[in-house]
Amino acid sequence: MRFAVAVKQVPDTMEMSVDENGSLVRAGVPSILNPYDECALSRVLELRREGDEVVVFTMGPPQARQALERCLEMGADRAYLLTDRDFAGADVWATARALTAFIIKFVPDADLYVFGRQAIDGDTGQVPFEVAAQLGVQQFAYVELLSVSHDGFTAVQDYGDVRRTCSVPRGSVVSFGTVDPNGTLVSISDYLSAGSKVVEEVDRVSIGLGLYSVGLKGSMTRIVSTTASSSARRNRKVEITDPAKGARFIIDELEAVR
Amino acid sequence: MSECSGGSCSTCSSCGSDDPDRLPPGMLKVYNLNQSTADGILVWIETEPDGDGVRMADVSAELLGAARKLSDGRVFAVVFGGTEVKPLYPRIFGCGVDSLYHVRERELEVYRPEAYASCIVSLIKRIEPATVLIGATTRGRELAPRIASELGTGLTADCTGLRAEGRKIVMTRPAFGGNLIADIECLRFPQMATVRQGTFPMPEEREGTGTAIYWQFGDGMGKDIVSEERVVDSGRDIRDARVLISLGDGIRDRSLIDVAESVAAKVGGMVSCSRSLVEKGWMPRSRQVGMSGRTVAPDLYIAFGISGVVQHRVGMSGAGKVIAVNSDPDAPIHHYADLSLIADAGEILREMDRAL
Repeated sequence: MRFAVAVKQVPDTMEMSVDENGSLVRAGVPSILNPYDECALSRVLELRREGDEVVVFTMGPPQARQALERCLEMGADRAYLLTDRDFAGADVWATARALTAFIIKFVPDADLYVFGRQAIDGDTGQVPFEVAAQLGVQQFAYVELLSVSHDGFTAVQDYGDVRRTCSVPRGSVVSFGTVDPNGTLVSISDYLSAGSKVVEEVDRVSIGLGLYSVGLKGSMTRIVSTTASSSARRNRKVEITDPAKGARFIIDELEAVR
Repeated sequence: MSECSGGSCSTCSSCGSDDPDRLPPGMLKVYNLNQSTADGILVWIETEPDGDGVRMADVSAELLGAARKLSDGRVFAVVFGGTEVKPLYPRIFGCGVDSLYHVRERELEVYRPEAYASCIVSLIKRIEPATVLIGATTRGRELAPRIASELGTGLTADCTGLRAEGRKIVMTRPAFGGNLIADIECLRFPQMATVRQGTFPMPEEREGTGTAIYWQFGDGMGKDIVSEERVVDSGRDIRDARVLISLGDGIRDRSLIDVAESVAAKVGGMVSCSRSLVEKGWMPRSRQVGMSGRTVAPDLYIAFGISGVVQHRVGMSGAGKVIAVNSDPDAPIHHYADLSLIADAGEILREMDRAL
């Protein structure tokens, strides 16, 4: 079987800090493989049996290669990097269009297209379903458990109020809703064999899309303006050495709202 | 704009500019054959089981109320389900709906994203709304992109505000960084957005009448649902709590959750948490505040051991008052609190439990 896993490189938001003006410090923040995607990939690797192939792909700037290298270290077999200046500024629609074109051209025969629930840098978890619609296949969101069945897969989905078990036909889009809190363990042999695998670069022309189908030009939404959000918090800071005093502070505030 | 040499041209629109002030003399407006006739707003009404029947999800009611104010055109709504939906009609029309499309196919009484999307797309093609609004619930966030993709239109997720400029809607959402608010517009009709619960006020309880239309649709992609089980929730919703005791990564000892529950019970509040505790399996997802959890707006939000990354702040920025307890003086949460205590969260919690 073949699995195609879409991943994204994101800034490590846990490492981000705020400067004295209250704006976000991005410089020096390390980039990581999106934890939701890392979890999705590790679930797929657990399902893999002898002879199966796991293909990972991402769209991003040239340095997104690092995220793919991490995937190869985890045990993925092949990696594609969709990188092109023309891809820059893509919204959900343009991103999904590029990914779909890539899938049709490079991995049209995958048994499953796998995504993470959302990217932690503020993406909103829409790309998997736009891709599913463009591929014309079924979609399975918030997947917790996935297993192989005789004619495809079985997925358990967590909708919050309902847990649903579905049979998943081959060729569907699956979006995993979970994250491994402790990260993923990488086996030494996978790690060592990763060095011999290459990340293949793919540009706009090789997925066969025109200039107006991708990136900012191919996007259906546009940011009109951005404004600083007004933070009207009083921002009183107190250092507490005596916990009893700290508790008193909070209890006073509690009484004020009641 | 290319200049006409004679300056008296009034027939050719090849030099057409979108700027109405720079039209050739004699021309009143630019003719655009591609101008869409889309108008009005369509809202997907999500239903939740309620006893033996169903009720309208709060976010759907809020969106109907907002749609009435945002558009002077028609407000359309679509709802799926059988006869159990009929008792909701008066309330739905009371929210300002002109035409309600009720999809009564047996196949579609259970939520199936592919078929629901195809059905709503068929409806959109018929009524040509300028805007489609969907609540940013677990199902809404899955359904909206499927619809947008089938129509090839733009979609803005998790909006926290909508503003009308004629039939164009400017969608507002917190941008990456959380301290930026981005105004986004869609370049095509229908414009689509998913909107967070609590963005708009709940319309007042009123009964109304309008046109209900049974919409036929029997063309959906099948889905093989093996089984479905309702998850029993602990009852109250953190979105309804006036006081939230919220726990984060700084809570290293699991027994502190019980302490927090005890404090919450004493002050009539609830315990919520940040993402990390859900991932540890210590708290259910229904208690998570933030981008991938719920958006809350309590009167008082007390963050214990929460660092305050952007994804969390988005979910609690509407709180009336914020108190942060964190031993790390550099934690971002301190910038977003009315009162910051640099102290060990666990010690303060235990002390509060004792003192109350």
